[in-house]
Amino acid sequence: MDAPSPSASPTPAVTVENLTKVFKSGFTKKPLLAVKQLSFEVKAGEVYGLIGPNGCGKSTTMKVMLGLLKATQGRATIFGRDSEEVASRQDVGFLPENPYFYKHLSGRETLNFYGRLCGLRGAELKDRTEAMLELTGLTHAAERRVGGYSKGMLQRVGLGQALIHEPRLLILDEPTAGVDPVGSRRIRDLILELKQRGITIVVTSHLLEQMQEVCDRVGIMSNGRMVSEGKLEELISVENQTELILQDAPPELLAKIRALVQEAGGKSQVVSEGKPRTTLEKLFLQSTTQTGDGE
Amino acid sequence: MSSASTRSAYTSFSPGRIWTMATHTVTQLIRMRILVFMGIISMVIVIAAFAFPAVSPEQQLKLLKDWTFGALQVFFVIIAIAATGLLIPRDLEDRTLYTTLSKPVPRYEYLIGKLLGVMLLLGSGLLLMDLVFSLMLYVKQSLIISSQIAALEKEQAATPENIAFIKDLNSRFGLTYSLHGAVWAIFLKASVVAAVSLLISCFASSTLFTILVGIAFVIAGQGQALLREWFLDKMSGFWQKFLSGAIAVFCPDLTLFDIAEPAIRGEIIPLGVLTEVTGIALLYIVGYTSVAYLFFVEKEL
Repeated sequence: MDAPSPSASPTPAVTVENLTKVFKSGFTKKPLLAVKQLSFEVKAGEVYGLIGPNGCGKSTTMKVMLGLLKATQGRATIFGRDSEEVASRQDVGFLPENPYFYKHLSGRETLNFYGRLCGLRGAELKDRTEAMLELTGLTHAAERRVGGYSKGMLQRVGLGQALIHEPRLLILDEPTAGVDPVGSRRIRDLILELKQRGITIVVTSHLLEQMQEVCDRVGIMSNGRMVSEGKLEELISVENQTELILQDAPPELLAKIRALVQEAGGKSQVVSEGKPRTTLEKLFLQSTTQTGDGE
Repeated sequence: MSSASTRSAYTSFSPGRIWTMATHTVTQLIRMRILVFMGIISMVIVIAAFAFPAVSPEQQLKLLKDWTFGALQVFFVIIAIAATGLLIPRDLEDRTLYTTLSKPVPRYEYLIGKLLGVMLLLGSGLLLMDLVFSLMLYVKQSLIISSQIAALEKEQAATPENIAFIKDLNSRFGLTYSLHGAVWAIFLKASVVAAVSLLISCFASSTLFTILVGIAFVIAGQGQALLREWFLDKMSGFWQKFLSGAIAVFCPDLTLFDIAEPAIRGEIIPLGVLTEVTGIALLYIVGYTSVAYLFFVEKEL
């Protein structure tokens, strides 16, 4: 399936309009303002990253989008439907942070249960369950009780249940939290694959490097407000600097380049020079052969 | 991805989703080893069937029924409170509620499914216990009849009239349809208690709180008629009726379902009585579940 362009569909996948959420606590405590006048839009087919420090209101926003919390003011819509309408959840798959599932069910039973809740029955339910087990690499552990799954496996079964009904929108709350780099990379690859299939994804993560790899646009939240939002490339590129990476360049060539920069004069200058470093994650992935499947 | 050709379209009320929640609840409770309770009740029935060989035959049958109905009442009310109390608070504590309610599942379907699951477990458990009890009672009754006929034969008094009298007497104190009716009333009582526990669990913060308040409601429900008689007897007609009704709405009068005693004594429970208690139970269940929904729909997750 070809990936439709993010702007192809006129109806946005998600709209959050002037969302304010206040939690009322006990009689003696002050009400807690979790989100204030938050507005953003996610176009169909794009990967949108919602980032910010702990307690900035990301999870609260996601819960409002899923109808788990009611907005104090403002509203959220999913493909044009108010998020408080149960029907809006037909199009949504949700992976909560630290997902917990019924420990007494096996991986296959878990996927079956959530598939049934989404209206899947018979051969279609069976096919989708098997497809999700395969997609998440859990076929070998399908009969094991979820209570005995590792953190990474729980995250994967969580992804399976979120995708079981082929949603158009996937909401991932810290999908790589507590997962080892191999599992984390696998989830990242899966997000990219789903994006290729045209699924809209809203994701939060503390691993900003990973967000950078998958997101088309990001919104940065702080103290319940959106402080910065836009296309990732626009937000992170340093407009007045240029990066040039050379391979097997002899010292003479480097000297010539430096001389050229000096000759050019004006404001041009070499800011830094050195060997680019690989990331610790890449080094880990190159050095480790264990896939995480045998967990 | 493939198109969802056989998938049922979303409807605001789906018996399929409710059934999925209910069967899942049954599986959850069974895997929480709730069947151990039923094993204990079966043991009580078997012990009661053979523990009192010295007393008179009628007494033997009566004691078997007393023990069985006593055990069924206590255990199934406890199962109703504990099973229901474990469901919603645990789903909240474990955050499994997030994944369930983020699917297209209305909150009333979640509640109805949970209650139906508990009722299915209570119903099938009681049906099983009724079968064990009926079998033991029938065996005991047959053994007593055989031994009494043998005694008559020994005394050379086994006339058709005497044999018929013995059979008639033991049948009256033995297995009757009214006993099944009494088991049905226990099911209704346990279901009402489950509905009360469901309501409590919708605003409770923990399983322990739900169970303790549930037990308090059962104690109040058992003593309610007595308290009404005691405190409201001196009041005038209107206020007596009003307060009596208010108390009965707030806390179910569980003694309404205690119809086992006449059945144990060998009396027949009229169908009208069974229909009436079934209607009352349904009213309580629907009422409490509706109020539970009003709390649950506003619950912030």
